[in-house]
Amino acid sequence: MTPVPRSMEAAGAGPVRRVDTARRAQASGWWGAALLIATEATLFACLIATYFYLRFKTSEWPLGGIEKPSVTLPLVFTGMLVATSIPMFLSVKAARGGAVRAAWWLLLLATAVQATYLGLQIHLMVDDLHSFSPQANAYGSIYYTLITVHHAHVAVGLAIDAWLLWKLARGITNYRLIGLRVAAFYWYFVSATAVAVVLTQLYPSL
Amino acid sequence: MLVVAGIIFFGAVAMLVVGWFRRDRPGLPFLGENETLNTGLVVLFGMAIPIVILVALFIVSDLVLLPETDAPAAGSTTMTVTVIGHQWFWQVRYEGEGAETANEIHIPVRTPINLVVRSADVIHSFWVPELNRKIDMIPGQANNIELYAESAGVFRGQCAEFCGLQHAHMAFRVYAEPAPKFKAWLAGIKRPAVEPTGAEAQQGQRAFMEDGCAACHTIAGTAAEGTLGPNLTHLAGRETLAADTIPNTPGYLLRWIQNPQSVKPGTKMPGLGLGKKKYDAIVAYLTELR
Amino acid sequence: MTVTAPAATDVRLKRLETIWKESPGVLGWLTTVDHKRIGILYFFTSLFFFGAGGVEALLIRTQLIGPNQSTLDPATFNEMMSTHGTTMIFFFVVPMSLGAFGNYLIPLMIGARDMAFPRLNALSYWIFLCAGTFLYVGVFSGNAPSAGWFDYVPLASKAYSPGPGIDFYALSLLFVGISTTFGAINAIVTIFKLRAPGMSLNRMPLFCFAFLAVSFALIFALPALSTALVLLELERLLGFHFYIPSAGGDPILWQNLFWIFGHPEVYIIILPAFGIATSIIPTFVRRKMVAWPLVALAEILVAFLGFGVWAHHMFAVGLASATTIYFAAASLIIVIPSGIQLFSWITTIVTGTPRFQTPLLWIVGFIVLFILGGLSGVTFAAIPFDQQTTDTYYVVAHFHYVIFGAAVFPLLGGMFYWFPKVTGRMYNEGWGKASFWLTFVGTNITFFPMHILGLDGMPRRDYTYGPEMGWTGLNLIETLGAYLLALGLLSVFVNLAVSLFRGAPAGNDPFGGDTLEWSTTSPPPEYNYAVIPKVSSPYAMWDVEDREEDARNLELGRKTLEQGHETAASTAVDAEWDEILEMPSHSAWPPLVALAMSGVFAMVLLQQWLAAAIFTVVLAVTVAGFHLKEPEEA
Repeated sequence: MTPVPRSMEAAGAGPVRRVDTARRAQASGWWGAALLIATEATLFACLIATYFYLRFKTSEWPLGGIEKPSVTLPLVFTGMLVATSIPMFLSVKAARGGAVRAAWWLLLLATAVQATYLGLQIHLMVDDLHSFSPQANAYGSIYYTLITVHHAHVAVGLAIDAWLLWKLARGITNYRLIGLRVAAFYWYFVSATAVAVVLTQLYPSL
Repeated sequence: MLVVAGIIFFGAVAMLVVGWFRRDRPGLPFLGENETLNTGLVVLFGMAIPIVILVALFIVSDLVLLPETDAPAAGSTTMTVTVIGHQWFWQVRYEGEGAETANEIHIPVRTPINLVVRSADVIHSFWVPELNRKIDMIPGQANNIELYAESAGVFRGQCAEFCGLQHAHMAFRVYAEPAPKFKAWLAGIKRPAVEPTGAEAQQGQRAFMEDGCAACHTIAGTAAEGTLGPNLTHLAGRETLAADTIPNTPGYLLRWIQNPQSVKPGTKMPGLGLGKKKYDAIVAYLTELR
Repeated sequence: MTVTAPAATDVRLKRLETIWKESPGVLGWLTTVDHKRIGILYFFTSLFFFGAGGVEALLIRTQLIGPNQSTLDPATFNEMMSTHGTTMIFFFVVPMSLGAFGNYLIPLMIGARDMAFPRLNALSYWIFLCAGTFLYVGVFSGNAPSAGWFDYVPLASKAYSPGPGIDFYALSLLFVGISTTFGAINAIVTIFKLRAPGMSLNRMPLFCFAFLAVSFALIFALPALSTALVLLELERLLGFHFYIPSAGGDPILWQNLFWIFGHPEVYIIILPAFGIATSIIPTFVRRKMVAWPLVALAEILVAFLGFGVWAHHMFAVGLASATTIYFAAASLIIVIPSGIQLFSWITTIVTGTPRFQTPLLWIVGFIVLFILGGLSGVTFAAIPFDQQTTDTYYVVAHFHYVIFGAAVFPLLGGMFYWFPKVTGRMYNEGWGKASFWLTFVGTNITFFPMHILGLDGMPRRDYTYGPEMGWTGLNLIETLGAYLLALGLLSVFVNLAVSLFRGAPAGNDPFGGDTLEWSTTSPPPEYNYAVIPKVSSPYAMWDVEDREEDARNLELGRKTLEQGHETAASTAVDAEWDEILEMPSHSAWPPLVALAMSGVFAMVLLQQWLAAAIFTVVLAVTVAGFHLKEPEEA
């Protein structure tokens, strides 16, 4: 009978890769992340539902003469974020294959672009704040709430990236590989919600 | 519904009692131990029979009966009454008649009325148990139902959505009366307020206008045009005060205006501290407003 | 007959004891991550809130004992009414079910040594404690919420509730929601991953199916509440507009968001009770559950269908007919899985040979009360009937029958059932039966007349009523019933408390239980099982050969996992042995993270934004600390 692996003892590219391949089920950490993502996705669904609920309560939208949002830059930035799924995916693949340094650099690349995305989005939001405020009316309120909640999720993702970059620089373990997979999973979720949020945000102009 | 529920409840209790009596013998009474039969019983009582009962309940209440609680079709009624909920009184308007009162609704008997409900502040609910279903009064929207009394009488209604401190004392009365009596009443409340007779009542009117009451209350035909409190133009014609909390007598009226918190703690009407003489005069004035 | 355990077994047990030893004293309890200790912490904390909610209830009933009473002024009554509901639902029934019963029993029932995320488990507890404290700081400082447990706007908006009461309500619920979400995630991952190898899903106890269903329901329901509460606080504290019509908002938005959470919440409340019932019945009637697969499926269906019915709380709001008809139909469908479970339980009792000892009595009481509550519930799907009875005492009767009768009775039965396992002592059976009857009679005297009062027109949440209404007699009866009910509950807890010190030793398996926890000692050792058990059916304890194989494995050192703080992980459906996982031991980070979180919430309540930002940074630091030590470094 093949001995069942003590997965958590695995440290270093070789052992980690063996444990990762041997494991048939998803790791506990992956499950935990999946469920957290499920609950956060539901949160976004509620916020987007709120947006459209408020929208269909009225004939004029945006309310109060607020200008319709401009479409180009938000879509480009969102595309940028979605594109980071590629280096994230490749990073996980590399790590699972034992190429830890490659995984680290790909993660760094993704992080840099994600951070740029957040910076640019905040800049756009500050711009918006010069024309209308969240306290103006329900449109302003739901508009800023929706994008701020999304930005908060991006910020948390960046914190997770920073953690992993620090840890992976010191080598790979079973725990850190699961962490990297969870981070990638999280970022796929953030990218998907970015698309949903930006389409909602730009809905009056689409 | 009660009969069916009773059968189900006592049936289930009976089964449990059987379980107690047969607690030393496994298996079903008469039918022995048979897992397939057991499962079949579960499906029969837990699924099949409930489906039949539930479908019947659904069809009767939600398909057949429900349309009777709908808002009246446009053009099917000859009168529209708007009731606006406030913390903690009812503003009543007869649309198109220029008539407004508070805490009392008069309607002609056997006449469908288009009842429109709104709210000036929080969510209230309009409910006269003997006449109509509940309908919530929500700020920012108008809901409507049909109000209809088959026979003449006085019907009590009470707010049915928790609305704050005096939710328990927010009631009203619906008077369903024969058409001539109703017409007379309506004509009465369309008239502006009577002028006070006698010195004390006149003093009362002055105090009313100058010492704060007019800021919240309307008395049609006078300088009092406040809208924060109920319309008092024909106060003396009502049977109750403070939204059916106390009877409308001079004694209760005095107590109400002198110390509102003692009647309805939390009410928004302030005690103005005007002194006994002025209060007596105001009561004298108000009791003339028929 | 004593059998001398072979020396090898002794050595193994000693080694496991040493590895899993809990730290002593207060510090040990503060830093514990052991699911049993956490379950006990949850138990006593939820019990405290049960008492608080009970005092609030007795105050309400005392105020209503007669017409125009002045025991409580309207402001205090409204606060008591609101805190009673909020406390009982969020700080008693769910934490007691999931946190106390779930935490203690799930690992034991599946043959594991702890939950999947032990430190997250501890964190859930400390957050719960902090969140409950947060709310009660509000209550004791004269700032209790007073807009009811479902807090409708605009009454709950700043304009009509200017004080901080509603902020205490909203923030404490957001706070405790974090705890409950973590608890749900933990339960699901534990059930999917840590089942003993061989315990495929169709061999998992029904208790675990119920808790799996509850946890999934929480994952998808809580965000709706969080959304509603965050929007409310943004409106109250920062002047945003979501619910106020003048700026494009809508009060009905609150109702929709709240009830999208609120309806699944009531199934969340009752599903663990179903799980407890399905554990107690087979043991005491000494036969397997009739139609086991149907019951398992029904438990999942109840959780799932519960998401489609929320607007049946809104039939008086003025929604379109078609909408109300859909929701009524959907509400009727839920009756089916509940009916299947009910008749399975009843048929199991009838076809078994029941011993009506205290735990089973509570379950029989539960069945009777659940039928009553369910019947009144079904009547609400008749929309015209609902439009007369909603917001009256008829509703109050219904939900107390289903929440108190159907959710709490099994919890009480479960307390008696598992008392011997947790404490190693037996409770007093005579007193147990007496306390059941007192409580059962008290419950019916208190809540049955409420159906009649509701049909007679008495609205709910009225702080008083006039003598001319004709409601006096029934209100008096209900209040006296409430005192009797309180007496019954008191006698339950006095029995358990006294038995804790003077009960007879219970042994491993005093009742002939069907699930794995009865195979280990009472109380279980810190490591739960010396050997990861062999499982061939959902009634593991009744599979004698499997338990004998465990004994042999212990002698031979097979599946003893003694190399560290270890437990087995298996595949999700078929439970094939996949990994050996190293579990964390004590950690100080969970209480620290909870404290930092408390700081954030407190500063938000006080509207000290800079301080809130600072505490958020502190929180980030504690979360980083939480993740600092990796399992390999343990």
